[in-house]
Amino acid sequence: MSEKHVHGGPECVALFAKLSEYMDGEVDPAVCAGIEDHMADCAPCRDFLESLRRAVAFIASTNAPKLPEDLKSEIVAAYERARRA
Amino acid sequence: MTSSSENSRLLDRIRADAPGAFEEFVERFGGRIYAFGMKFCGEREDAKDVLQETLLQAYRSLRTLDNPEAMISWLYRVAANACLMRRRKGKYEPEREISLEELMPRPGEGPRVEIPDPSAMPHDDLVRAETKARVQRAIGDLPDPYRIVLVMRDMEQLSTQEVAEALGLETSAVKMRLHRARLMVRKSLEGAFAGRTP
Repeated sequence: MSEKHVHGGPECVALFAKLSEYMDGEVDPAVCAGIEDHMADCAPCRDFLESLRRAVAFIASTNAPKLPEDLKSEIVAAYERARRA
Repeated sequence: MTSSSENSRLLDRIRADAPGAFEEFVERFGGRIYAFGMKFCGEREDAKDVLQETLLQAYRSLRTLDNPEAMISWLYRVAANACLMRRRKGKYEPEREISLEELMPRPGEGPRVEIPDPSAMPHDDLVRAETKARVQRAIGDLPDPYRIVLVMRDMEQLSTQEVAEALGLETSAVKMRLHRARLMVRKSLEGAFAGRTP
């Protein structure tokens, strides 16, 4: 890529569509190398990828409450009732 | 014993309707399905109903499942249906796919507001609670067909293949919806963090 690369062109648009697959390691090695070459020269795409990584890290870190013990017993009781019916 | 062989052994016990098999089933998968219901529905009562419907229905139908490897996808399929029915949508298909152009910054427009690095967040309970609420809101605002894929892939850590099997989608559709869902959450978080110093 030349030093005169201007962000927003067809290369950036094509890369934008592949960012999640790239992050997940689901692109083939040739595509991966092409994305890394592009990132090396395109700061806005690099920044965008980093912001997407952070968003995904926040999503992954969102936990849910544990299953209450009394709810387990309630479900087992519902199963036993249905079984006897 | 590996998780896969444990699932296989449990499936044998479910097929035989062995004493204690349902309790073991609840013990093994209850927490996971409850968490999934909470992450998708956002309400304890809904998550509780999703859990009960899923476990009772899946326990009955798992007896006919041939392949123990498909047990997780099968469970999530039942749970996803219960979640979507609860929201009265009952479908995996969006009215229309959201186009990438709608989510792409305009030329010359980079991320204006930096999303903070989650690993460098201050150990301040208030800031953490506020951030968690922002992330939950961003996820909760996603259209159902996108949210269900995001919750399964990024929160439940299912593989693309498992999500495809659970939702009856092609893997290409799972990847496409996951990408759009992430982009929507990113955009929403960018807006939510605007004006706030991380």
